[in-house]
Amino acid sequence: MDILIPDNWLRDHLKTTLNSKEIAKFLSLCGPSVEKITGTGKNLAYQIEITTNRVDSASVYGIAREASAILPRFGVKAHLVTLKTKSTQKLTKKVVYLKVNIDEKLCSRFTACLVKNVKIDTSPKWLSDRLILSGIRPLNNIVDISNYIMLELGQPVHMFDYQKIQGSEMKLRCAKKGETIQTLDGKIYELKESDIVIEDGGKKLIDLAGIMGGNASKIDEKTQDVLVFVQTYNPINIRKTSMRLGVRTLAATIFEKGPDSAGVEIAVRRALDLVVKIAKGKPESKILDIYASSKKKKSISTSLDFINKKLGVNLTPKEISQCLQSLGFNPVWHKTNLEVDIPSYRANDIEIEEDIVEEVARIFGYHALPSKIMEGEIPTSKQGINFDFEYNLKNTLKGFGGVEIYTLSLVPKSFVGNEALKLKNPLGLDSQYLRTSLKPSLRQAANENLTSGKFHLFEMANVYLPNKNNLPEEKLTLAGIFSDFSYREAKGILEALLLSINSKEKINLKAISDSKLYYYEFDVVSLEKSIHLKRFIAPKKFPSQIEDITVSFSEKPKVGEIIEKILKLDGQIEKVEFIDLYKNSYTFRISYRNENKTLTNKEVEKIREKILKRFYS
Amino acid sequence: MKEEIINLKNQALAQITEIDNLEDLKDLQITYLGRNGRLSKLIKKIKEVKGGDKKEIGIQINQTKKTLLELIASQKQKIKSKSNTEFDETVPGILPPVGNLHLVTKAIEEIAKTFKAIGFSQARYNEVEWDYFGFESLNFTKDHPARDDWETFFVDVPEDKKLGPMILTPHTSSGQVREMKRVGTPPIRMVNIAKCYRRQADVSHVPMFHQFEGLVVDKNISIVNLKGTLDYFAQNFFGESRKTRLRPYHFPFTEPSFEVDISCDVCEGSGCKLCKGGWLELGGAGMVHPNVLRNGGIDPKIYSGFAFGWGVERTYMMKEGLKIPDIRLLYSSNLQILKQF
Repeated sequence: MDILIPDNWLRDHLKTTLNSKEIAKFLSLCGPSVEKITGTGKNLAYQIEITTNRVDSASVYGIAREASAILPRFGVKAHLVTLKTKSTQKLTKKVVYLKVNIDEKLCSRFTACLVKNVKIDTSPKWLSDRLILSGIRPLNNIVDISNYIMLELGQPVHMFDYQKIQGSEMKLRCAKKGETIQTLDGKIYELKESDIVIEDGGKKLIDLAGIMGGNASKIDEKTQDVLVFVQTYNPINIRKTSMRLGVRTLAATIFEKGPDSAGVEIAVRRALDLVVKIAKGKPESKILDIYASSKKKKSISTSLDFINKKLGVNLTPKEISQCLQSLGFNPVWHKTNLEVDIPSYRANDIEIEEDIVEEVARIFGYHALPSKIMEGEIPTSKQGINFDFEYNLKNTLKGFGGVEIYTLSLVPKSFVGNEALKLKNPLGLDSQYLRTSLKPSLRQAANENLTSGKFHLFEMANVYLPNKNNLPEEKLTLAGIFSDFSYREAKGILEALLLSINSKEKINLKAISDSKLYYYEFDVVSLEKSIHLKRFIAPKKFPSQIEDITVSFSEKPKVGEIIEKILKLDGQIEKVEFIDLYKNSYTFRISYRNENKTLTNKEVEKIREKILKRFYS
Repeated sequence: MKEEIINLKNQALAQITEIDNLEDLKDLQITYLGRNGRLSKLIKKIKEVKGGDKKEIGIQINQTKKTLLELIASQKQKIKSKSNTEFDETVPGILPPVGNLHLVTKAIEEIAKTFKAIGFSQARYNEVEWDYFGFESLNFTKDHPARDDWETFFVDVPEDKKLGPMILTPHTSSGQVREMKRVGTPPIRMVNIAKCYRRQADVSHVPMFHQFEGLVVDKNISIVNLKGTLDYFAQNFFGESRKTRLRPYHFPFTEPSFEVDISCDVCEGSGCKLCKGGWLELGGAGMVHPNVLRNGGIDPKIYSGFAFGWGVERTYMMKEGLKIPDIRLLYSSNLQILKQF
């Protein structure tokens, strides 16, 4: 997720004289990535990408905290300002102004505080300016305060119109299948069991928790009493609901990443401060706080050797401690073993000692590490695919004028037979199946180019042949299509291809009906197996005799068969080439050769006789 | 008279053989053989010759005429063939059929070659894969967004009890655990280049694309080695002056994880419109997560490793500086487009 952090707001929490361009640069090198700086003059904002594991930095304060650890590494003074609050209300598990019934599996911490007699108005300029810079439209002072605290601390805040909560009762539970709720924006959603909702005393749904408030309890210009409401929810439920309904509010994208439950208290107190200051409300003296699992302190064990081996350099324990302390971690050394206490806001993302390595490495600075290719043995074991052979085939076809194409492996139903794998969630009907042949794809590609004259398109790609209860066979296939070629020209290219690799593989070149197209395909693996090793053949000592013979046939014979027949007639017939066909006269070029002598005209005549006899008797 | 004819003949022969263009030759023919030409004038003089000489002179003149005509004809031929042998280099050649390899093929070849030089062997693992190799063994949590059916394609077959649903692999990282299992005991230096699929199609995304995945596992593999390998690749694939940098990022299967940037070749690192402060994003990388090593049957206490997986198309386009407005054009069937790359 990307967030916008106004520069002047950041500087409330981070005391530094460094300019914004340098702040952006250093943050990107060692922490959250600043994609760009928007705005001008005093209205600058950093657009920052927050990775899913670092929801703790998805706020103005979170970024300030990161910057206070990172900037000093570049010799820059930077200091994080402690969060203050005027609120001194007690946290209690029960309050008179709100009866609650909470499913703790859905809600890890639940806080609320009633503030009476607020004056609904527009927000002061400084506040609405900051919201606008952060990309949020100001509405009224109460709603704006909730957004302000969320942006500042990364803890979503909700405000209810207290008068609209019937019976001052709330029940936080899973939705029932088929229940509906109308949210703040007026839209109505049908709910499922994994959605979290809040029901009031009148059995009315007043909140789609963590996603968006309900319309029934919305703040309006007549609102007098507000309930300030800060929670943390089960992140999995929130994500499911948000994705299913397509409601991607900032609150939902924060909640689905599991923000720190410990951070809820300061959020509710600073929200109360602002409601008092800006909307002149009178808060109750107690804050309702239902917090089941105030987690134990988390700590990770590692060692000096482990950290340095992973980094590839030798840092001292002192250097490592400095990096970790700057992030609020508490490192304790026992000789070369290290025990690191993790602050609550990082408890979700620091799990193993490699995480400690990462924190040390990024604060020390990846840029400060040397760069060196690994030493050690070069592996000899290979997967066994002959990539050079594949490339050679493609390159040879290219040399003969072929144009290589990549078509989509996902095809419509009409491109496959009954035996093909189907996708559960295709992008569309035209890409619903895994292809079992390249032919339809190539034919389609050829049809798109029919005005381009003569061409030869080829592709080498897998086809996917289903296997019961197993992954399909991914069969690498070389296929191509000729347009506007004569059959002999097309076949000649394939014969030349086979000649170049010394293969006797059968050529499968077929006309596509109702078109001027010829299609062929080879199984690449069997093609590779069909290669004969080349043996040295000494040049012939005696010359051959060559002559053309024309033979006429009354019916149409197969040229290939005639050639075979001629070759079989005599061992001294070395080669038979097909030269021409005119009406029913076939011309062949015959080479005669004897290994041991030069053939005389008489000897050739004898062999020729055999040929003529064979076809004219 | 006889002498006069011989002189005329010699004179004419000398002149004809010196002429090098057809027009002059024609003029000369008229001068000697025309109606009022010099030889014709001599013919008219035959009347004045007396007795038996008349016949002799007649024959002499006729022979002369014949000789001259023959010479003119042969000279004409000479002049013509001479102008033919003057070589015209501007004439267009006759092309053999010119074919073309697809950009992706060229890219894969170059990438594989670059890594081969430092001991990486090329591999190609499954396109249709089990969830186990695509996600589970790579340390993805059950609810990770990439496992949602709006990001990854699922094949409509029953799930395998152990390996989970059948998917179209969304990344070449699914070859990591397969390679570890194949090799058994490190060292491993692999670059897996294969087709991948993601459920997206827009100007910068195609549902089918290619990735290359580098994987190195051995004793004492460190971030320093990853940096060394990335710099090697940048310098050998993109150009000697190029540098890389690592920025923190997050992936489930690496810890630490990085985003890799390469210095911009247009501004050479000073920052311009095409880049972000002098750097362009190349892709992700990281140190192999110990859970992934374990799933590959490798003890993370003894061995460590790094991996990186980037888009083939994107990386190659960055190298060539090709500004293709819509990446889907790479998979067009249009010959006019195909022949450009």
